[in-house]
Amino acid sequence: MRFKVSSSDLYKKLQVGLGAIDSNPVQPILEDFLFVLKGNTLTTTSSNLDTTIRVETEVQGETDGEIALPAKLLLEILKALPDQPLNFEIDEENNWLEVTSAFGKYRMAGDDPIDFPALPEIEQEHTLTINSKILSKAIGYTIIGTSDDELKPGLTGVLCLIDFNKLTFVGTDAHKLVKYTYPGIDVDYTKSFLTPKKSLHLIKNVLHGDFDVRIYFNDKMVFFEFENTLFISKLLNDPFPNYNAFIPVDNPNTLYIDKKDLLNSLKRISIFASKSTNQVTFNLDESSLTISSQDLDFSNEATEQLPCTYEGEPVTIGFNSKFFMEVLSIMYPGNIRMELLDYTKPCIILPEEQEEGEHLLLLIMPVVMGY
Amino acid sequence: MFERAILHMDLDTFFVSVERLKNSSFEGKPLIIGGLNSRGVVASCSYEARRFGVHSAMPMKMALRLCPQATVLRGDMDSYTLYSNMVTEVIAEDAPVYEKASIDEFYLDLSGMDRYFGCFKWSSELRQKVIRETGLPISMGLSVNKLVSKIGTGEAKPNGGKEIPNGTEKCFLAPLSTAKIPGIGKETYKKLSFMGVRKIETLSRIPVRLLEREFGQNGKVLWEKANAIDMTPIVPYREQKSISKERTFMEDSLDLRMIRDVLSGMADSLAYELRSKKKLTSVITVKIRYADFNTYTKQKKIAYTSNDRVLHAYIKELFDSLYERRQLIRLIGVKFSGLVSGYFQMDLFEDTMKDIRLLQQMDRIRNRFGYNAVKRANTLL
Repeated sequence: MRFKVSSSDLYKKLQVGLGAIDSNPVQPILEDFLFVLKGNTLTTTSSNLDTTIRVETEVQGETDGEIALPAKLLLEILKALPDQPLNFEIDEENNWLEVTSAFGKYRMAGDDPIDFPALPEIEQEHTLTINSKILSKAIGYTIIGTSDDELKPGLTGVLCLIDFNKLTFVGTDAHKLVKYTYPGIDVDYTKSFLTPKKSLHLIKNVLHGDFDVRIYFNDKMVFFEFENTLFISKLLNDPFPNYNAFIPVDNPNTLYIDKKDLLNSLKRISIFASKSTNQVTFNLDESSLTISSQDLDFSNEATEQLPCTYEGEPVTIGFNSKFFMEVLSIMYPGNIRMELLDYTKPCIILPEEQEEGEHLLLLIMPVVMGY
Repeated sequence: MFERAILHMDLDTFFVSVERLKNSSFEGKPLIIGGLNSRGVVASCSYEARRFGVHSAMPMKMALRLCPQATVLRGDMDSYTLYSNMVTEVIAEDAPVYEKASIDEFYLDLSGMDRYFGCFKWSSELRQKVIRETGLPISMGLSVNKLVSKIGTGEAKPNGGKEIPNGTEKCFLAPLSTAKIPGIGKETYKKLSFMGVRKIETLSRIPVRLLEREFGQNGKVLWEKANAIDMTPIVPYREQKSISKERTFMEDSLDLRMIRDVLSGMADSLAYELRSKKKLTSVITVKIRYADFNTYTKQKKIAYTSNDRVLHAYIKELFDSLYERRQLIRLIGVKFSGLVSGYFQMDLFEDTMKDIRLLQQMDRIRNRFGYNAVKRANTLL
């Protein structure tokens, strides 16, 4: 196997695949990239068994072949070299690689490509095409809602629900929930899949630019294909709650307030809340919102009053300010609408005006106070 | 004159005195307060009963063998708390700084008051005031530190007061038995006796190094105590670190259903206590003592909560993983620690509005009519 490639080109492509390489993998071969050369196309594959990333790079190929190469060493030398054409020559019998640069020669030992786990079979059972910007946005929003609790594995993923012309992403940890709906697709089926948040983080990191992403999936796997890159992730088959039944539709009290004002106020007030519970209290009446917090252990206290428009009964409601700020931070700038009842029911946050062609809903659970 | 003056006050046979206030026919008779069943122990007993050799923490069976004519009462913690609070109020009114060390014990810091009032005179007046206003006998000891004052109170009992003037602490302690030092229990006393040390004076003359060799870190503390050295300050308010409940069964049991129900009952009442104090817990501990007295505990760190539902689930989980010996159980207990102030966070999928409302209504009923006014059916034991 022999080929010529630009060092910065290869470096960029390998960086995409690096996300799927764990620092301490179960099998030593998973520290490697699998290099496969066919004609002028070099395919590099990396995997941690849950996520697999395959990237194609244009090279000047001379002879075809395969080898597995240690990722760390390879990336280090590519990073240290200024941009220039590199000559790769691989001895497939003894599994070693020799790279020739303008400065000299570098030799490293590779592994037998047979040992590299086979790529899962690509089954295009259900397919769907979506713009990269929309996908990146949907992942970025909903991942905030997900949980880290390994005891509820279903909540550590983002649910993607495809319903004829509507695509919905949901992330929740039972204290907060983020739901993002995009109505601009056109398929002839209703299906859903649950992707682990770790894989979604990796995908989001490489979704730069404006291009189409083809998504296809079956019961076990989801594939994201875009711009010479194929992303494969295992799906979670743990139960995801029937979230829609828990989103109240008849909350009678409505608050209109500027997002930035509320978020900044919360940032200040939460400094004075107990560090272990982060609890803040909202006092709502006709024309003002009073936010306060108290840390009894250190005798800290803070109160702020914000102008707002409020329709409904005066109410006192408490929240975990950490959760509240997390969800609020993803909201669009401008006014928000908050629908609530009291401390017994979830509280909903919506933008006053939804952005065109999408729908964002945030939900946060209050703390039970009022004795 | 005292440089530092610490007053210790202790209500004499507190539970007995309260019972006598409520029913004067108990005056002058041997009276024992404690559990009535076969496993009960003596919580408090009158001086008349003590004459027969009865003392607190003695098994009730043995106490009745020693003093069969004694009247035994179950005791009523609520009224003891009430009287204790009355005494606290009287003390709080006059004292500059006080520490409530237990239900019937108080420490007061009177440093600097000598010049104006005379500490002992002031203390005696306070003692008289407590007796006058509550009708409960109380003893006191006044000295330079907590330790000597407490031992002084012990010497002043019943119903007396003792001053150990500045500089005479060591002389005061010298002739007393080492068993009188708080913190020296049965085992330490036994060991000291074997060493031939019976009087505090002897103990105070043993080199610290020798004591440290015999008793480890505790050795130095022992030596300091014997030499009347105690710098512990008066702590006016102590943050409660944990709340717990334990139950010894009348007979060792294998009835898991009953045991789980008892655990739920404890969880309910502790969780109610948390909520009414506006606290949350973050560590749950479950304890099992088997019939052979082997005791095991298991604890778990959880997200801050005071929600019955969550606590029940964790306690059940802990108990199921802790109980593995297929042996009769003598005692079970639950402890909540890692307490902070706050309200519990609702769970979107598990807490329904109905559950929360139910919990709140139950708490409201309990706030008005007491904890036992309403309970879950499975905890009605």
